[in-house]
Amino acid sequence: MTSAATLTRTSGIRVAVTALAVFLGYYAGANFGFFLRLPPSTPSVIWPPNAILTATLLLTAPRRWPLYLAAAFPAHLLAELGRDWSAPLVLAYFATNCSEALIAAVSIRWLGDVPGRFDTLRRVGVFIFGAVFLGPFLSSFLDAGVTALHGESYWTVWKYRFFSNMLTELTVVPAVVTGVAAGRQWLGRVPVRRRLEALGLAVVVVVLSVVAFGTSDYGAMPGGARTPLAFLLPFLLWAAVRFGPGGASLAMLTTTVVAISMVMHHYAEPTRDEIVSLQVFIGVIAAPLMCLAALIEERRRAQEALAESLRFEEMLSRLSAAFVHLQSHEMDAAFDSWLQRLGESLHLDHVILRRAGSPHQPAITHSWSAPGVRTVPPVCAANWPLTGDTEGRRLRRDQALLLLRSSRTPPMADGRLPGPLESNLTLPLVARGQILGHLVLDPITLPRSVKSISALRLLAGVFAGALARKEAEDALRTSEAMKSAILTSLSTGVAVLDREGHIVAVNESWSRFVRADSALWDRAIGIGSSYLDAWRTAARKGVPHASDALAGIESVLARSRRTFAFEYADGLSPADYWIALSVVPLDRPEGGAVVSHTEVTERKRAEMEAQRSRQELAHFTRVSTMGELTASLAHELSQPLSGILTNAQAAQRFLAGTAPDLAEVRAILSDIVDDDKRAGEVIQRLRDLLRKSDLSRVPLDLNTLISDVARLLSSDAVIRNVAFVLELNAKPATVSGDRVELQQVILNLLLNAMEAMAETNGADRTIVLRTGNTDVDAVHVAIEDAGPGLGPDAERYIFEPFYTTKPAGMGMGLSIARSIVLAHDGLIWATNNPAHGATFHLALPLCSVLVG
Amino acid sequence: MGDAIVYVVDDDPSIRRSLERLLRAAGHTVETFVSAREFLERADLGVRGCLLLDVRMPGQSGLELQFVLEAAGHRIPLIFITGHADVPMAQQALQAGAVDLLAKPFDADALLGAVARALAASQQPA
Repeated sequence: MTSAATLTRTSGIRVAVTALAVFLGYYAGANFGFFLRLPPSTPSVIWPPNAILTATLLLTAPRRWPLYLAAAFPAHLLAELGRDWSAPLVLAYFATNCSEALIAAVSIRWLGDVPGRFDTLRRVGVFIFGAVFLGPFLSSFLDAGVTALHGESYWTVWKYRFFSNMLTELTVVPAVVTGVAAGRQWLGRVPVRRRLEALGLAVVVVVLSVVAFGTSDYGAMPGGARTPLAFLLPFLLWAAVRFGPGGASLAMLTTTVVAISMVMHHYAEPTRDEIVSLQVFIGVIAAPLMCLAALIEERRRAQEALAESLRFEEMLSRLSAAFVHLQSHEMDAAFDSWLQRLGESLHLDHVILRRAGSPHQPAITHSWSAPGVRTVPPVCAANWPLTGDTEGRRLRRDQALLLLRSSRTPPMADGRLPGPLESNLTLPLVARGQILGHLVLDPITLPRSVKSISALRLLAGVFAGALARKEAEDALRTSEAMKSAILTSLSTGVAVLDREGHIVAVNESWSRFVRADSALWDRAIGIGSSYLDAWRTAARKGVPHASDALAGIESVLARSRRTFAFEYADGLSPADYWIALSVVPLDRPEGGAVVSHTEVTERKRAEMEAQRSRQELAHFTRVSTMGELTASLAHELSQPLSGILTNAQAAQRFLAGTAPDLAEVRAILSDIVDDDKRAGEVIQRLRDLLRKSDLSRVPLDLNTLISDVARLLSSDAVIRNVAFVLELNAKPATVSGDRVELQQVILNLLLNAMEAMAETNGADRTIVLRTGNTDVDAVHVAIEDAGPGLGPDAERYIFEPFYTTKPAGMGMGLSIARSIVLAHDGLIWATNNPAHGATFHLALPLCSVLVG
Repeated sequence: MGDAIVYVVDDDPSIRRSLERLLRAAGHTVETFVSAREFLERADLGVRGCLLLDVRMPGQSGLELQFVLEAAGHRIPLIFITGHADVPMAQQALQAGAVDLLAKPFDADALLGAVARALAASQQPA
């Protein structure tokens, strides 16, 4: 069986039961009406069938009206055929009865907002106008006309029928409608005390009605001093005040029935006009009573709504206060408890908090269900958020989603009706422009305290804020945990310093770097001790470089410098244990820094190894360069030696003479001394170049160094027919470096320039050596030749090892020059000159200690 | 010997002075010049004598001066002195008419012998 068939069957049963009730009610009402009748007048004193039809039409949809009216038809025939009326008359009366109910129902539907409700003054007013006045008023013309054919007076019939039906409509319809609407509730939830109150009130009303209308003749009743009647009024008011319009109409119905029964069956025959005046009397009491009850109900509801609204707002403010001071781990419990309070306060079945885990797979993290209510079917949790369809798209946007149980909603596979969550309100939880999840309120019939969706959006806003904070704190904790794990796993020792240089935190590796047995530290330094003091002690002990390190760390702590990096040797021999120290400031208002110690012994060893290799290679190339320079060096040495020999032999000849010119001999000796010094210098320069460098960096003037090298090569230049032009800066260009290595750079560049010019026979045979200071505290050296210049792309290769254009060259000269320059933190490059030839440039940092 | 003059052209002042002293001590009249250019400007080439010439000098070299003198028709005897005796250059100089070639440092007797031979050559009629 399909679910649609189930739906149809359910609704069919309900219609059938209603039709049966209409049939029974009509039949019973008609018989009751016949019981209260004053023949020979046709209209009954009370005629409930019309009121029962009116109540039916007010409670049902217009499309069902023909069905229910048809259900009443057999009851009508059953009740009226066999009386003293002809069949056509009976049929005509059914028509007039139906017309009264239709006029009443149509006019109430047309004029009022909700048919079948008597809880506002307006609704009661519309009811009184439509059902109590207009229905009986108009239908009575028809009824009187039909009856007049029967032989009665038209206007008498009209009058009697109008007042009778007016009173019946006034007392029966609200009683029936309220009874149907509230009857189920009265069967179930109403407290015992209230039931007892209603029962007591009913007994009192019946007794007092019997007493008031049954103990004297009714004729003097409306104007007479009948004390029991006066006593009845407070209880009618009680019913109106305590039980609303339904209670009031029920009390009035009871009073009416008792009063008319008493008057008609226990006393001397009343006239029909006396009955009318009794009807008017009861009607005049009943109508304001109904209005009063409606007013009181209206006021009560307004107060309740206000109180509920206040409660809601109070809950809202408590809710927002509750989450402010909670830690994120306490929030889960708080979410649960607040979902419960929310559900209880708004009388919901389910409240669900869904977190947007991933766009397509959100997860229900917290939920609450009212006691006795089925828990949420798991299928709802798994299927959401309805990816692809309209609801899913709306859920992913910042919109509240109202899901209604509708015919559109397909039944579930097993034929059951869709679960309770098919009709609910889903509120997006939005924080910082991001949907963090949804709050689902089920069912959607919310109490009046919740005036609009915007109030619920506030609620959602509080949950969203709390959720956002929880997520942020969870993320922070995760990140903290990750950082802590990273710090622990590092082999680098890390310590956090405060502004004064005290250690506030260290990682596990830290202790390895500050062992008490190291040469640097007197004792182990850990959290609480002063890192700066430890360095100060080391500096006082005379540990090499300790004062440099101290100054660097202090400058970072004082924010006068961004970072500080330093490498030092710890241990008995400097090469044993190398540590790289790095200090970075902490970016926070209270200052401080992070210090890390990393062991770099291996790297340092490799670096020194590489440096040694480079130096050995440089030395080897120097030695081989000397081989190339032998001819020039021989000439350089032969000059002074030749001068010495010739001078000495000239002196011998002078002294062999009879009167030796001693002044001449003195001049000769002076020249010999000078020449000898000259030869010594040549040898010294040669020795310098052939010496192995000792890795020492000393401040030296690059201008002097360049002149020395140029002089060493001057004979070679003469041989090669090349002239050196020195355009050196007047100011000393002091750099920190290894003299031999820098000489080798200049030597290689000059040899390279001369060799380049050997290939050309141009008129310009000069090599210009230029020095100048740059604006970045560096000295710039340019060696400008007049050779053929560099080939295309040569600038990229000329400094590579084994790159050469010369048949006999090894291709190491420029490569060695570059490695030396780089080791001196300098730069080397080559450019082509505008006219001809190439220029080799090098830039070396000025030695700030001496320049400053 | 008397009026014969020994001209010395060498850019090295120490060499110039020592040669001048040695030649004076041996009784020669000496005139020294810093460069080939100065010699061409100042020297009296009409006088009998010989020329002591450094092979390699900045500017005009000794070989170039030899060529210029040859071209101008001055047949003054030449003695080359050089810091490094490379064979091709010595051959070139001797073929061009040089009397002798001395490698620095040279012995006084060798020099004076060469000068004596040169002056003797200069007395022979051209």
